[in-house]
Amino acid sequence: MLRAGLFPFPPFGFPMQTKRTTFRSYWLPYLLIAPQLAITLIFFIWPAGQAVWQSFLQEDAFGLSTKFVGLRNYVKLLNSPEYLASFETTVIFTVCTAGLSLGLALLFAVAVDRMIRTASAYTTFILWPYAVAPAIAGVLWWFMFNPSVGVLTYALQTMGYDWNHRLSGTDAMILVVLASSWKQISYNFLFFLAGLQSIPQSLREAAAIDGAGPVKRFFTVVFPLLSPTTFFLLVVNINYTMFDTFSTIDASTAGGPGQSTTILVYKVYEDGYKGLDLGSSAAQSVILMGIVMVLTFIQFRYIERRVQY
Amino acid sequence: MVENRPFLTFLAHLVLILGVAFVALPVWIAFVASTHDQATFLGGSMPLWPGSNMWETYRTILTDGVPNSGTPPLTMMMTNSLIMALIITFGKIAISVISAFAIVYFRFPFRVLAFWIIFVTLMLPVEVRIMPTFKVVADLGLLNSYAGLSIPLIASATATFLFRQFFLTIPEELVEAARIDGAGPMKFFRDMVLPLSQTNIAALFVILFIYGWNQYLWPMLITTDEKFYTVVMGIKRMSDVADSDPQWNFVMGSAMLAMLPPVLVVIFMQRLFVKGLVEQEK
Amino acid sequence: MAGIKLSAVKKTYPGSSEPAVKGVDLDIQDGEFVVLVGPSGCGKSTLLRMIAGLETISAGEIVIGDKVVNTMEPAERDIAMVFQNYALYPHMSVRQNLSYGLKNRKMARSEIDRRIEETAAILQIGDYLERKPRALSGGQRQRVAMGRAIVRDPAAFLFDEPLSNLDAKLRLHMRGEIKHLHNRLRTTSVYVTHDQLEAMTLADRLVVLNNGLIEQVGRPLDLYQKPASTFVAGFLGAPAMNLMEAEVAEGALMLGGAALAGGLQARPGRVTAGIRPEAIRLRAEPGNFRLDYVEELGGTRIVHGHIGAQRMIAQTDLATELSDEMTAELPGAELHFFHAETGQRL
Repeated sequence: MLRAGLFPFPPFGFPMQTKRTTFRSYWLPYLLIAPQLAITLIFFIWPAGQAVWQSFLQEDAFGLSTKFVGLRNYVKLLNSPEYLASFETTVIFTVCTAGLSLGLALLFAVAVDRMIRTASAYTTFILWPYAVAPAIAGVLWWFMFNPSVGVLTYALQTMGYDWNHRLSGTDAMILVVLASSWKQISYNFLFFLAGLQSIPQSLREAAAIDGAGPVKRFFTVVFPLLSPTTFFLLVVNINYTMFDTFSTIDASTAGGPGQSTTILVYKVYEDGYKGLDLGSSAAQSVILMGIVMVLTFIQFRYIERRVQY
Repeated sequence: MVENRPFLTFLAHLVLILGVAFVALPVWIAFVASTHDQATFLGGSMPLWPGSNMWETYRTILTDGVPNSGTPPLTMMMTNSLIMALIITFGKIAISVISAFAIVYFRFPFRVLAFWIIFVTLMLPVEVRIMPTFKVVADLGLLNSYAGLSIPLIASATATFLFRQFFLTIPEELVEAARIDGAGPMKFFRDMVLPLSQTNIAALFVILFIYGWNQYLWPMLITTDEKFYTVVMGIKRMSDVADSDPQWNFVMGSAMLAMLPPVLVVIFMQRLFVKGLVEQEK
Repeated sequence: MAGIKLSAVKKTYPGSSEPAVKGVDLDIQDGEFVVLVGPSGCGKSTLLRMIAGLETISAGEIVIGDKVVNTMEPAERDIAMVFQNYALYPHMSVRQNLSYGLKNRKMARSEIDRRIEETAAILQIGDYLERKPRALSGGQRQRVAMGRAIVRDPAAFLFDEPLSNLDAKLRLHMRGEIKHLHNRLRTTSVYVTHDQLEAMTLADRLVVLNNGLIEQVGRPLDLYQKPASTFVAGFLGAPAMNLMEAEVAEGALMLGGAALAGGLQARPGRVTAGIRPEAIRLRAEPGNFRLDYVEELGGTRIVHGHIGAQRMIAQTDLATELSDEMTAELPGAELHFFHAETGQRL
């Protein structure tokens, strides 16, 4: 969640700013930076390196010997229907979750932006799910859709729909999309609201004087001006749905039924931790790291552009 | 508001009321479930209004734990969560503020390299490199310990970057005045940088506390001893009971309690929380 | 208290080929008020910051009192600085701002209190000692910034454009106060400004800098009356001195074929001639001066016009009658002559 919210990737070749006046010491800066660096090296860089190395290895069935197999893990992955299916699942899940949570968040933000006295109360009521753990969000929605006691299952039944996410892949997908979107609305809402509030009132007034009604005004003036925020949120939401929804999925459908809600990051865990296929899991990690890097790079290009405004 | 359109205002209120209801619904249902007894659910029905079993449910899970779930009492798990969240929060803030200070206020060989090494961490969420990280922690003998729960999550590019951005906005002349007034680097850090960073630290506290409290996968992997279970991961354990339906009232009661601390933090520190989040983007 | 001596001081910023300060020699006497003035980028602030120890010295030597301070920390140099944006510690009260430097020097509590009382009395800031800087007005902050310097009782005060953030009226007032304060404390002061009027009024001695080098040093009036170069001539005085490309022939100043002034001792040849606006005598009778427009200052008038193709600004009293065609007389004694190429005074 936190990671998804950030943005701080400094430009490549970015002049490393310091102060005009700096302190002089040969050892103090190293001492200050040492704890952070040590933890980063031990728990981030080293394991990531291990993952890359591991991705070129294969263990035999008994875990007794390991041999170097070059890119074979990758080749196997890209030819594996399950892995490709997981890619597809990830895309569907990401598009639906990002679309739903962004859409609702924008709607709420536009509505709150109209309010004067009640704005802060509504904001509080929409904001708090940010604090709910993704895993808990999964549990809450899993409960509401429980085939025997779920409220929503019951409601759907009275409408003639027989919900069972334990059997139906579509139902399971809807469940994780709802749980993940529910959790993410607050974050998107906050940024949309901040974006809306930073649009100068005079622009809307000018549009109103030019004869644009509220709806037209929204689509011709407000929404285009929100596009930097929207773009930022889009990238953040892709990041969120690809990685941070792990717990939501694990706590609700656990990737099932079958593989219908196994997104890429879940598959890394399943194949590695549960399936003990370390080589394949590592190769998947490396592919995901590649995706994260691309996303970060895009985010970053965007900041760079925006700074120039 | 540019012009007064009562219908639009009405519509906006309607949308928001529905939105608030949508947001609140899962939690309401969970709350209601926690106030009924086990027998209510056996009949396969789910009440929509609170029952009378609330105190009994919460007393049971807080002091005895959820029966037959293999999880310790909630008081213990919540204490573990609190310890983990606080170590992560204070740890992240402490190591980030000093490393950002080093990066901004000193020029030293390998500064850019160090900066990049820290920033690479951003790219790699725990979930992605979970297996090798788990192995490192296991090799270090940190399984089933508070250190293992929190230290690997302490390195933080985010907080470092936020502090760096903030320090760059502190006027140059302040350092210069302090140097003329005889302050060395650590004195400047203590007398100027820390007091001036107060609001930023508080805002980060809110965000990081939520982040720490809500950890799920990591605690699940590295705790096998129930003494170290945290509440968020514990709920998964108690709802995964083999061959029988979960004890809904207890599970939902636990979920309510697991949500409570971070939600309270957000509600009561909303201003700081918003600042902390929105600043991340800058 | 102490004097400050700069010998062949140079500064080259890393990554820049052109030095910002190209070798400055300056001897500042104990108790003197020296103003460094020049356009932006002339090196005046760099020079001040080198004296303070906030910039390293690329070459040369700086001596404060009798100590070479080249490698000393700012705090060891026994100087105090007043910054352009005041640089008050925002989270500390006025009292804490004043006492911070003293506490760092391990001064006794009672002595600190005594000095703060004394400083507060001098600057009349006693009423808001417990307030935070953000609760103060611009002028009050300025006083506190000065107080932070005074309370230290240092060997020298360094001022880095301390008045430029104030509005015009307050600036004038504070200028007076700084002058008054210096008369009272007699602490060696080095003051940087780009405002020539501020420089003229404050300085015991004025140092005009241009492009990293000293153009001229001297008492303000001497510089005004005998500028060493066209740069100094153009920089000091408002409105600026009229400078024209002209020729001296047979003791007369020739401009576009017409003689402007006669009876001159100057050597014949091409020169840059200068005359201050207030030295030009305008008469209403039609002649060489074509009037373009007039600025009324209340007590005096600034008259803009042309002599031939040369723009000319004159300052007159209100008694002078104006008309479109006038006669401008340039008294020979008031003319300044500079080398046509180098701009140096002849």
